[in-house]
Amino acid sequence: MNEPNQNQLPAVDIRDVAFRYPPSGVGEQGIEVLSDITMRVQPNTRLGILGPNGGGKSTLIKLILGILEPNAGEISVFGHRPTQARRKGLIGYLPQRIGADLDWPLSVEQVIAMPLRAKLKPWQKLSDEDQASIDRAIELLEVDQLRDRRIGALSGGQLQRTMIARAISTRPKLLVLDEPTLGVDIAGQQRFSSLIDTISDELGLTTIVVTHDMRALVAVADRVACLSRTLHFHDTPDGLTPAVLAQVFAHDIEPILGAVHIDAHAADDCDDPAHAHHHDCGHDHKGDAS
Amino acid sequence: MSIFHADHLPALLAGLGIALIGAPLSVFVVLKRLAFIGQGVSHAAFGGVGVALVLGFAGSSVTDSVMQSIIILSFSIGAALVIAALGRSNRGRIDTAIGIVLSASMALGFILFNIAESRHDHDDHGHAHGAHADEHHVIEEILFGNILDANWNMVWATLVAGGLILTALWWFRHKLVFWSFDEPVCAAYGVREYRTGNLLLILLALAVVMSMQVVGVILAAAILVLPGAAALHLSSRLRVVMIWSLAIALGGTVIGFVIGDASHWPIGPSIVLVQSCAYLGALGSNKAMGALRSS
Repeated sequence: MNEPNQNQLPAVDIRDVAFRYPPSGVGEQGIEVLSDITMRVQPNTRLGILGPNGGGKSTLIKLILGILEPNAGEISVFGHRPTQARRKGLIGYLPQRIGADLDWPLSVEQVIAMPLRAKLKPWQKLSDEDQASIDRAIELLEVDQLRDRRIGALSGGQLQRTMIARAISTRPKLLVLDEPTLGVDIAGQQRFSSLIDTISDELGLTTIVVTHDMRALVAVADRVACLSRTLHFHDTPDGLTPAVLAQVFAHDIEPILGAVHIDAHAADDCDDPAHAHHHDCGHDHKGDAS
Repeated sequence: MSIFHADHLPALLAGLGIALIGAPLSVFVVLKRLAFIGQGVSHAAFGGVGVALVLGFAGSSVTDSVMQSIIILSFSIGAALVIAALGRSNRGRIDTAIGIVLSASMALGFILFNIAESRHDHDDHGHAHGAHADEHHVIEEILFGNILDANWNMVWATLVAGGLILTALWWFRHKLVFWSFDEPVCAAYGVREYRTGNLLLILLALAVVMSMQVVGVILAAAILVLPGAAALHLSSRLRVVMIWSLAIALGGTVIGFVIGDASHWPIGPSIVLVQSCAYLGALGSNKAMGALRSS
């Protein structure tokens, strides 16, 4: 068999990865965002990646998706290079902010079918198999009633479910969710967690959830990775200790505890191009960390 | 009553060809907020005209005008890609990039016009005054177009370019829609964002250059905005929007042509005004429907 056996391979294999953003302006240094990351995610795991803003979570996601290339080390997704895995539709992705242009005159179903349509030859129509997985995604995310609704006419929660349905429509083996519960209340988070549980079970998915919110994480994850520029912890959630958290969220805890010393990195975080769109830049989640 | 002269047939066909191109493209232009890029590219084309003139291609023979078109087209596509690249390297500040490319191309175009003109004066002392008026006429035509000058060559050129644009739009429709709808994410699904974006810009540049011949630099971008802008007020289904856009573009061209022809108004601007009225009508009917629904 030419295909690597996807059941025995780790879902994601990260070896000695480092990443530095190139300088973004005259006289600026490139920013080292990640260094020395080695981590193996087994199939069917629900991994939560926890860390402060600017800790490199989104960057690591972009590396796993193959949108960025590491400066050192290697990443494989089910035995493939990330770009290959993406092309094979092995990865489903929900971005942190939904950046889609909701003015488009498109229905919920059209949006969900988009990734599969983009792979068609111009003269092809969706195959029965593709249509079936679109229907399945619609059913799992409970957006059946909304099929023909215009994408701009959805509530925030409905839109997010639609985008997750789009992410799983390609029958991926890995689902990556970047800060899916940002700004969602606790009841919403619990519903969301059980939804992710259901989807992952039903489809046999490996799921990676990125968050800076502990409550969201503990409910979903059976593995936790703590990331702040490098990997501080990677184990089951009950192995998390206050000491680990204090280390990971050091930049956030120091100002709360009135420590005199604030690491220069804390200021750097706001310049991090990966997080330039954060309006909060590490001030939002102090309560969670303390 | 004969609606228009038979010798205006090529002009009408060229106008309809442009409408056919503008209809689907304008939907992308409006939704992807590329209207200002259209302006940038059409003004950049003025620079291309200057380059062609200085190189001695004034469009006086067929090969001459083919060369001229190729130069203008390359210049416009180059300008579109420079705008995109500058916008990307400038953290997405595309309006600044457009402003720079637009004014630089206009400035370059005007200087090259003057160089071509003084060279012309130099070659031809006796007719300096006449040549001057001639150049001004040329500039006016480039800025505002003269559709009635359209000959069969232009009809064929429009058909070829239009066929190319429509085929490309159809061929890449799913990727183009995905990219336009959700640029930040499409890469994660294997739609190459830069390549797809550049493709749309190249098609846009080609369409601008074709419509320039009909309505001139100033109004070219309008043809690539108005039908889509109007159609988007009339439906929330992409397919229906495309059909409306086509109807408004073609209808606006025919009506603008007839009005212009009957009242001896310049035809290009008449087409643009009719399409503008269609836009106002669509906007009004959308608001009226909204008011009806909420009452």
